[in-house]
Amino acid sequence: MTLERRSRIVDEVEAATRVKDGMCLSIGGHIMSSHAMALVRRIIRQGTRNLTVVGAASAGLEVDLLIGAGCVRKVVAPYVGAEALAPIGPFYKAAAERGEIETWECDEGMYYTALRAAALRLPFLPTLAGLGTSLPEVNPDLKVFADPLTGRPLVAVPPLQPDVALIHAAYADPYGNVQFVGSGMGDRAHHRAATVTIVTVERVVPNEEIRRNPIATALWNVDMVVRAPYGSHPFQSPGFYLHDEAHLEEYLAAARAAVGGDRGLFDKYLERYIFGPANHAEYLQTVGFPRILSLHEV
Amino acid sequence: MDYTTKELIAAFIARDLHDGENIVVGANLPVPRAGVLLAHLHHGPNMTIGLSATQTSLLKEPVLQPFKYNRDFRAARWAESYMLHHETFDSPKLISDVFFVGGIQIDRFGNSNLIGVGRDYRRLRFRGPGAIGTTTMTVYTKRYYLYLNSHDPRVLVERCDFVTAFGWGAGGADARTRLGLPGGGPKYCITPLCVFDFEEEDKRMRLKSVHPGVTVEQVLARTGFKPVVPAKVGETEPPTAEEIAILRQRVDVEGVLRS
Repeated sequence: MTLERRSRIVDEVEAATRVKDGMCLSIGGHIMSSHAMALVRRIIRQGTRNLTVVGAASAGLEVDLLIGAGCVRKVVAPYVGAEALAPIGPFYKAAAERGEIETWECDEGMYYTALRAAALRLPFLPTLAGLGTSLPEVNPDLKVFADPLTGRPLVAVPPLQPDVALIHAAYADPYGNVQFVGSGMGDRAHHRAATVTIVTVERVVPNEEIRRNPIATALWNVDMVVRAPYGSHPFQSPGFYLHDEAHLEEYLAAARAAVGGDRGLFDKYLERYIFGPANHAEYLQTVGFPRILSLHEV
Repeated sequence: MDYTTKELIAAFIARDLHDGENIVVGANLPVPRAGVLLAHLHHGPNMTIGLSATQTSLLKEPVLQPFKYNRDFRAARWAESYMLHHETFDSPKLISDVFFVGGIQIDRFGNSNLIGVGRDYRRLRFRGPGAIGTTTMTVYTKRYYLYLNSHDPRVLVERCDFVTAFGWGAGGADARTRLGLPGGGPKYCITPLCVFDFEEEDKRMRLKSVHPGVTVEQVLARTGFKPVVPAKVGETEPPTAEEIAILRQRVDVEGVLRS
């Protein structure tokens, strides 16, 4: 019998079906960079509901979009916005103010502490962060307790375990070895904490190319690899393309109108970019190659 | 020498930063960013600058091209090392020695709020952006600066509705050590009108200097609490010609600080 190493490549349509109603879903990247948007769009298109979304430590408008599309019950993110373009995500702000979503308040340090507790299967990890602040009051999952060794106060941070982690990276081979261009931000922490990791990549490369520089392999043994060139659009992908500011402005105008009571523009946005295209390739066709190819870094 | 208030503040910040310090620069705070880079180019050849998830030295760069967003990969071109974001909080060595903290509210003891405004957390009148990294960073950094783009009684309040970064709590020089917080706490609160420091014993905010052309009365009228006002309040020292030249020719060529 010949043994064959199994390819982990699946398409974005199949990969997204792994995300089901009520799951805890994490999305990697950082504000304007590196979100697995080809999968985020599919999740909206397939109508997944009641998600707990663990955004990136600083999350961008991908979380805002999921809220606007009605997929989200609860958000865990120390920030949701687009910096100077939108200091806070319009749907996130409105849904939080109106009590339509639950928010798990934390800062970036506590957020990584919670992911690490999940990876270690610990009931909590202690931190000094949050002492003297409102965080343990507004987030009852955080508990101030006395350190058993010194009696000094500490904050207990419970685990955050995503059922599925969505990550966008530069390269992977068919066997789930993933390399970033740049730091990879906090994505390693998502992979370590999550039950299942799905990675969209700009390019699937042969195993030999991974072996040429193994120290660059940041994640290995991920569950699924999805071929998604330009898969982070409208956000940037380090080493490949910049964020699409015009597209983000189009989104923000639609989101702001929707929050103000007129969902017309936003429904059109969803129809054009998410419900219309049957897959990622058709999405790119809708955005159009002149636009896509104009997003170069230098 | 003509200068803008933003250039004045950048110079003030730069003078308080020391050679050898390790300082992360965000994208959305152009004035503190300019202050850090000015310190680096003016008197900080051994500073390490954290930029777009990298650490580096920019000493030999003739012009520091501006970038708009925190993780703009174009700003990573100088990287000497990468910042793995999830490890940033694992060691004070990986964290910036100093930090800049904004707020939708800041109180008279330097506590700051990025959660929101309102009594009921589940029904905020205004939902803020969130704590970002400020809760943890301010636990550890040697010192930090509260920085505001506007000086307004709705922002500088008697008491924050919520606290995301613990400054001096309810006051007292031991407020932080009592909680076991190792970092040095907020040093200054910098606004477009003035600089506050903190009174040594009870740590109430105290007017340190007003920017040239601003009166103490104007500051008090725009502040939602009563700061300590010493008998004599000086003026914030204007930038020198050399500082202005570095700012305009190398740090802020697009003139964000002049707009």
